Amino acid sequence: MTSEDGRFVVIFNGEIYNYPQLRAELETDGVRFRTTSDTEALLHLYARHGADMVHRLRGMFAFAIWDQARRGLFLARDPYGIKPLYTANDGWTFRFASQVKALVAGGHISRDPEPAGIVGFHLFGSVPEPFTLYRDIRALPAGHIQWVDTAGPREPKPFSNLADVLAKGSANPGPTAEIHERVRAGVLDSVRAHLLADVEVGIFLSAGVDSGALLGCMRDAGQREIRAITLAFEEFRGTSEDEAPLAACVCEHYGAHHIVRRLSEQEFVEDLPAILEAMDQPSIDGVNAWFVSKAAKEAGLKVVISGLGGDELLGGYPSFLDLPRWHRRFGLLAAVPGIGFLARKLIAAVAPTFSRVTPKALGVLEYSGSWAGTYLLRRGLFLPHELPGVMDAEIACEGLRRLKPLRRLAANLTPDPISENARVCVLESAQYMRNQLLRDADWAGMAHSLEIRVPLVDFTLLRALAPVIPAFTPGAGKAALANAPTVPLPDEIVTRAKTGFNVPTGDWMNAAIGRGSDAVGRAPEAKGLISRRWSRAVLNGMAPANAQEQLHAS
Amino acid sequence: MLAIVTDAFGGRGGIAQYNRDFLETLAETGGVSSITVLPRQAPDLFVLPERVEQTPARPGWIGYSVAALRTALLRPVDLVFCGHLYMAPLAALIKRLKGAKLIVQTHGIEAWPRPSRSQRAALEAADLVLCVSRHTRSAVLSWAAIAPELVLVVPDTVREAFTPGDGSTQRSALALEGKRVLLTVGRMDPRERYKGHDRVILAISNLVAKGHDICYLVVGEGADRIRLEALARDAGVSERVRFLGRVGLQTLVEIYRTADLFVMPSTGEGFGVAFLEAMASGTPVLGLGVAGARDALADGELGITASEAEFPATIACLLDEPKPDPHALAAAARARFGRETFAIGVRAALDRLMEAT
Repeated sequence: MTSEDGRFVVIFNGEIYNYPQLRAELETDGVRFRTTSDTEALLHLYARHGADMVHRLRGMFAFAIWDQARRGLFLARDPYGIKPLYTANDGWTFRFASQVKALVAGGHISRDPEPAGIVGFHLFGSVPEPFTLYRDIRALPAGHIQWVDTAGPREPKPFSNLADVLAKGSANPGPTAEIHERVRAGVLDSVRAHLLADVEVGIFLSAGVDSGALLGCMRDAGQREIRAITLAFEEFRGTSEDEAPLAACVCEHYGAHHIVRRLSEQEFVEDLPAILEAMDQPSIDGVNAWFVSKAAKEAGLKVVISGLGGDELLGGYPSFLDLPRWHRRFGLLAAVPGIGFLARKLIAAVAPTFSRVTPKALGVLEYSGSWAGTYLLRRGLFLPHELPGVMDAEIACEGLRRLKPLRRLAANLTPDPISENARVCVLESAQYMRNQLLRDADWAGMAHSLEIRVPLVDFTLLRALAPVIPAFTPGAGKAALANAPTVPLPDEIVTRAKTGFNVPTGDWMNAAIGRGSDAVGRAPEAKGLISRRWSRAVLNGMAPANAQEQLHAS
Repeated sequence: MLAIVTDAFGGRGGIAQYNRDFLETLAETGGVSSITVLPRQAPDLFVLPERVEQTPARPGWIGYSVAALRTALLRPVDLVFCGHLYMAPLAALIKRLKGAKLIVQTHGIEAWPRPSRSQRAALEAADLVLCVSRHTRSAVLSWAAIAPELVLVVPDTVREAFTPGDGSTQRSALALEGKRVLLTVGRMDPRERYKGHDRVILAISNLVAKGHDICYLVVGEGADRIRLEALARDAGVSERVRFLGRVGLQTLVEIYRTADLFVMPSTGEGFGVAFLEAMASGTPVLGLGVAGARDALADGELGITASEAEFPATIACLLDEPKPDPHALAAAARARFGRETFAIGVRAALDRLMEAT
C-alpha cells in the first residue's frame, strides 16, 4: 500500500490489534483514512513518528516501509517474534521475505550452509535466530528494527526486551493477593483485543487450562457463536489419554460448538511429505500444529485463537521447577573450573552404557553453573560436547564458535529479570517459544491459509503480569488463568491438566524414520532419543544440498 | 587516521591503486583531518594529496611493525585503516592500544581461504570491513564470525585517464593495421596462474582457422611469461602473441583503445580492475563471470560473461561483429564505477562507522 503523497510504501504481514484506538487518535489529529485496513495505519504512524512508531503497536507484525524521499527501507518485527521476517544481503542487493524458502526460491542467493544454524538445530531442535540453515539468510530478530539504505543494511536495533519488562516488574512487585485479579483483567483484555476481525474467530481447544480459559474469556468478551477445534488421536479413543471428552466438557461448559478431529497414524504418514515441504526451516515439532490447522481449514475457519504461550507466561513448564533446582543443587559445584569436563570424561570411561543411555546426565556439572547453561541442559536435544560425534566435527566446531550458544542464551537475561520465575520465563519465551512454537504455528497455519492468534503472547499482557510473575508458586499461574473467565474452568480440567497428556506422534515419528525395530521402548529417556533421531531425519530432508554430505559424514 | 598498507602512493598493482583511490577520497571528503600512510613498499615517484603524509617504506616485517607502533604511539589515532588482511593483527593491536576504530580492507584471494587465527580474530575485531566484491564479502563471512552489516562492498574504481579515443599511435607502432586485436592486462605470476592467458593462447589457432586475423597483446610483467611464451610456440601461434611487458599509463590507455576485445578468463579475481579500465577506454570485455569478476562485469550488464567451455566460441562470435560504440560503453562503465560513485560508497561507509559511536 502506498501513502497518498506517494512517499511511503508499506508491505505488511500480521495484525495490529489496537488499530481502532490508533485510528481514532490519528483521526483526532486530522489524519484522513482512505481504507479500513490496519496497514494504512502503519503508513500514517511512520509518517508522523518515524521509527518510534513501533512502540505504539500492539499485535503480531513484520513489515517494511520504503521511504522514497530518504531512499531507504525501514523494517520491523514484533517484540515476541510471532511473525517471521528474513533478510539476505549479498553486498549489492538487499532482499527480504516472510520465509526462508521464498528467499531461496527467488534465486541469486548463495545456498552455502550456516554452521551456526545447523549446530543450533542440533542443540535446540529448531534453528535459533538470527541464523538460518543458509549463511546468507538471516532473521531480523524479534523486537528489532532495521534501516537499509545505499550503504546496505544497518545492524538491527532492539526496541523492546522481555528481560527488561520482567526486571521492572520484579523490581516493583505486586502483592500476591493481586495475582488473580491481574491475570483476569490482563487476559480478558488481551482476548478482547485479539478478537478484532472481519471474519469468524475460532479456537484451538485442548483439554488443558490455557485454551479452556481463553474460550471462557472469548465468551466473556461477548462472542456468542464459538467453534472450537480439538485434535484427538485415534489410538487413544476411549482411554484416559483422550483429550476429546474433557474438551467436550469445556465446550459444553461455555456453550461452544465442538469439532473433534481424529488423527490416525496413517494420515500422519500420508501427510509427512507435505509437512516437510511446508516446514520453512527444520523443526522437530510442528506436527500437531499442522493437523489442528488442517482441521480448522476443513471447518472453513480463517482465524483462530490459540493458547500457545501460557506455559511460558504462567510458569506451566516443569523447567520452572527444574531450572532453579538444578542450578541450586549443582551450580556451586559446577562453578569449579574444569570439574564438569573431568567428571564427564571419567563417567564415560567408567560407565559407557550409562553415558549412552542418559547422555545429558554427563553434562550436569558442566552446564549447571549458569542459568543459560542450565537451560541448555534442560532443553537441549544434544549438548555441545556431543556434537562432534553426531555431525561433521569441523562444522560442529565452527558452528559452536559462530553460535556461541551460552553467550547467546545469557544475552536474553540482560538486564537480569531478578526472580527465578522471570528468568525461566524469558529463557523459554526467547528460545523455545520463539524459535520453535511460534515458528511452527506460523508455517503450519500459513500452509492452511489460517491465521493463528496468540493472546497469551502479548506484550501488554506481559507488562501487566510482570509484577506478579515472581510471586507465582508452582501451579498458581495456571490456577489464576483457570479462574480468569467469569465462569471458571471446571475443577476436573485443572486437576487433570496437571498430569499432562501424551501424544502418540513420537512413536509415529520413530516408525516413520524406520527405526521402530531399534527397541527404543518407553523408558524415560526414550522421548529424548526419538527426538534426536527425528531431528536428523528432518534435517536430511531440508539441509542445503552441499551441506548434506558433510553433515552425515560421521 | 593511520593507514597500515603494503603499498599505496608510489606502489604498483591493483591493491596500491585501490589504497590510493580510497585514501584520496577520504582526504577529499574531509571525513578525516589527517592521514598518515605507513607503506612497506613505494618503488615509484609519487605526489601526495593534501592532508596525507606517507612515511618511508619499510619492507622488513619487524622493522615495519616497530615503526608502525612507534608512529601510532606518538600521535593521536582515531581510526586505523588496514589495507591487507596479513597486516590486520598489527592494525588490531594498534586499535586496542589507542582505543581507535578499525577498518579492514579485503581484496581477493588473500581473504578467500580461512586465514590464520590471529588474522581472523583481528578481522572480527574490526568496526568495518570493506570488500572489493560480493564474492570476497561472501568468503569473508564464511570464516569470520562478524555481524554481516559491518561487512560492506565498495568496488574498485577506474581512473580518469582511461577514456575512449585515438589509439592510432600504438596501432601503427605495433603494426596492427587490419588485425583483430585481443588484449589481456595483468600480472603473470607463476604461483597464481589464474588470469587465464593460457585459455586465450590455446583459442587462437581456431580463431585464425575461422578467418580472424588475430593479434593477442599481453601487457604486464611476471615470471610466468616464459612458460606462456613456450605455450604460444607449442601452439604454433607465437607470431600472433605479443608480450609487451610493463607499459606506461599513456601507452596503456592507447593499447586499451586499440584492442577489439579485452579478454581475461580469470578464475581468481578479487574484482578485476583491468576490466573497468578496458570498458572505460571503450573496449568490450569478456570474462568467465567467476568470483569477483562477476562484479566488474556487472553480472553481464557491462561486460560479457561466458562459461569456460563456451569461452573460445564466444570470442569468435564477438569478433564476427564490428567493435561497438566505445563512447556508450565507456559512459556506462564510468557511471557505475567512476570516481564519483566510488566516493559516494566510501563516504557512506565512513558515515556508517562514525554514526556507530
